Amino acid sequence: MDGLKGRLNTSVQFKLSFTLSLVILMTAVVAGVFSFLSAFDEAHELQDDVLRQVAQLVDRQRLSPPSPATEPRLDSGSEESRVIVQRLGAGTASSLGVDAGGTLALPTTLADGLQTLDANGETFRVLVRTTASGERIAAAQESGFRNEIARNGALRTVMPFLVLVPILLLIVADLVRKMFRPIATLSKEIDQRDERELHPIQDRDLPTEVRPFAVAINRLLARVLQAMESQRRFVADAAHELRSPLTALSLQAERLAGAEMSETARERLLLLRQGIERGRNLLDQLLALAKAQSVADPPRTPVSVQYIYRRVLEDIMPLADAKRIDIGVEGPQDTQVWVSELDMIAIVKNLIDNAVRYTPAGGRVDLSVTAAEGFTVLNVRDNGPGIPLAERERVFASFYRALGTDQIGSGLGLSIVQAIADRIGAQIRLDFTDAATQNGLSVTVLIPAIGPLHSPVGREAIKP
Amino acid sequence: MRVLLVEDDPMIGEAIQEALKDASYATDWVKSGQLALTALRCQRYDLVLLDLGLPGKDGLDVLACIRGEDNPIPLLIVTARDGLDDRLRGLDGGADDYVLKPFEMAELLARIRAVLRRKGGPAAPILGNGVVSLDLVTKEASTDGRAPVQLSNREFSLLRALLVRPGAILSRSELEDRVYGWGYEVESNAVEFLIHALRRKLGSEIIKNVRGIGWMVSKGV
Repeated sequence: MDGLKGRLNTSVQFKLSFTLSLVILMTAVVAGVFSFLSAFDEAHELQDDVLRQVAQLVDRQRLSPPSPATEPRLDSGSEESRVIVQRLGAGTASSLGVDAGGTLALPTTLADGLQTLDANGETFRVLVRTTASGERIAAAQESGFRNEIARNGALRTVMPFLVLVPILLLIVADLVRKMFRPIATLSKEIDQRDERELHPIQDRDLPTEVRPFAVAINRLLARVLQAMESQRRFVADAAHELRSPLTALSLQAERLAGAEMSETARERLLLLRQGIERGRNLLDQLLALAKAQSVADPPRTPVSVQYIYRRVLEDIMPLADAKRIDIGVEGPQDTQVWVSELDMIAIVKNLIDNAVRYTPAGGRVDLSVTAAEGFTVLNVRDNGPGIPLAERERVFASFYRALGTDQIGSGLGLSIVQAIADRIGAQIRLDFTDAATQNGLSVTVLIPAIGPLHSPVGREAIKP
Repeated sequence: MRVLLVEDDPMIGEAIQEALKDASYATDWVKSGQLALTALRCQRYDLVLLDLGLPGKDGLDVLACIRGEDNPIPLLIVTARDGLDDRLRGLDGGADDYVLKPFEMAELLARIRAVLRRKGGPAAPILGNGVVSLDLVTKEASTDGRAPVQLSNREFSLLRALLVRPGAILSRSELEDRVYGWGYEVESNAVEFLIHALRRKLGSEIIKNVRGIGWMVSKGV
């Protein structure tokens, strides 16, 4: 019952269907009972009329009611529907039963008119009449039978109700559901949205009653969009503003390095400059993340993945060299992707940077690109420690850093990759490079292919 | 060499001014766009370092004014604005280079030298990355502390291709294009052969192989 009450309170659609059905049912019951009763009465009156006419007929034609003894029994087959006509007081109760053609045991004191009384153990409707010749006759019919006829007639009048009410209920339920369909569609649409899809909802096809809600939701969406935008702008602006003091700091530290100083001071200055470098790196990553999360999709162009690998490796080679990491591209094939070049560089750069950072000195990093069923598959794998299964969900969170490493990354690399991947519709998969020993990280990026633009030859990007 | 520095941040301005002084440039420092334009009218400069986020008159407006007066002075934009848009507007507006904050002074000085070289007529006839230098006239290469080595024509072409942009990775086909003329039958290991020869002459460290992509010379220090 609680469930029903709950649904009544929460669902307008259910409430409407329920109330309408209830009203229809009640109306149908009242109307049904009423028409049943009146039809029942009507049938009785009709039968009374029949008795009257039979009595009158007997009187007019001066027929004398048959004497029970002489009258051969007519086998009509419907003895119950019989109208019995007999002289009142004549030959009182016969030995024969009524059904066998005998007379009814009626008291002679009966007054003229219609009455219902018991005779021979059954209930009869009896009309007593005094004929012109002074004789008193009685016309009688079995009450049970009369009631049955009346009941059948009355039931036939109620029958349409009984058939139509369920149909009506079905129609009502269907209509209500149809009326609420735009709302259901709308809620489904909103439900399936990504957190960045904050465009206004379509309110043109909605009923007037619901439109205010849609308008209000649109206004809320606009405010959320604005808030998100201003937050993003804040991050970008803050990172941006921090650049000036950091520049000043690093320039001063650089100048300081040129000055005369003791060995201890020089060592500490080196640490200071490393700290500044780290701050600078973090700022760059913050700006990159803010950009990656921005709603605006930079213009897309076909980009060769090999070209991107080369661009990024040119930047990263010094770092890889310093750690003596063997980094390279496997396989000669190339594929073009339909993504903005800056996005592509950001994805590849962060993945390779991570690989180089977390692979021990003397390690190996392999890049590859292949085309497979509608996707361009980029793969970056290293022989570093890898990421345990339990941590794979969390590594995409901002400022996450792998435990047990002394690396000073920004903790934003994979967040940036994820944000861009979400925007361009790409998927990221993390695996072990070597599944047997659970070692090494292998990151696979699946970028939806662009069909006819696939080409086996890379774009010649570096012009003389 | 006289440099005009337009920078409103006192700490950065001071650091750049001192560093330029150390590198023996005479430097005048102004803190607004209006003052920069005035200074340019009163004094002859060899180079302008221009910040974009200036109080009053924006850096891009200052740039437009300078180029509007048909002043061809070498100009570097030094800014924290990293948007592609700003970069394009700066370079299209007539800036000779665009240096993003935060930067290392060594990089800024290198870029200043590059711009002065470009603007000051034919490039110096020596290419180098700090490890190896190549004389474009005599086709001699030298590494630190060693006597110059004479290179063959093809070795020279290959090393020159790599030294044009130190740090850039060139693929085999790109190197073949630079070394061999059209219609020339190139053997499959010709590039390796040349690189082997160069390494033998100059030391194995000078040309690096990047597995699966190509070759490069390091960016230097």
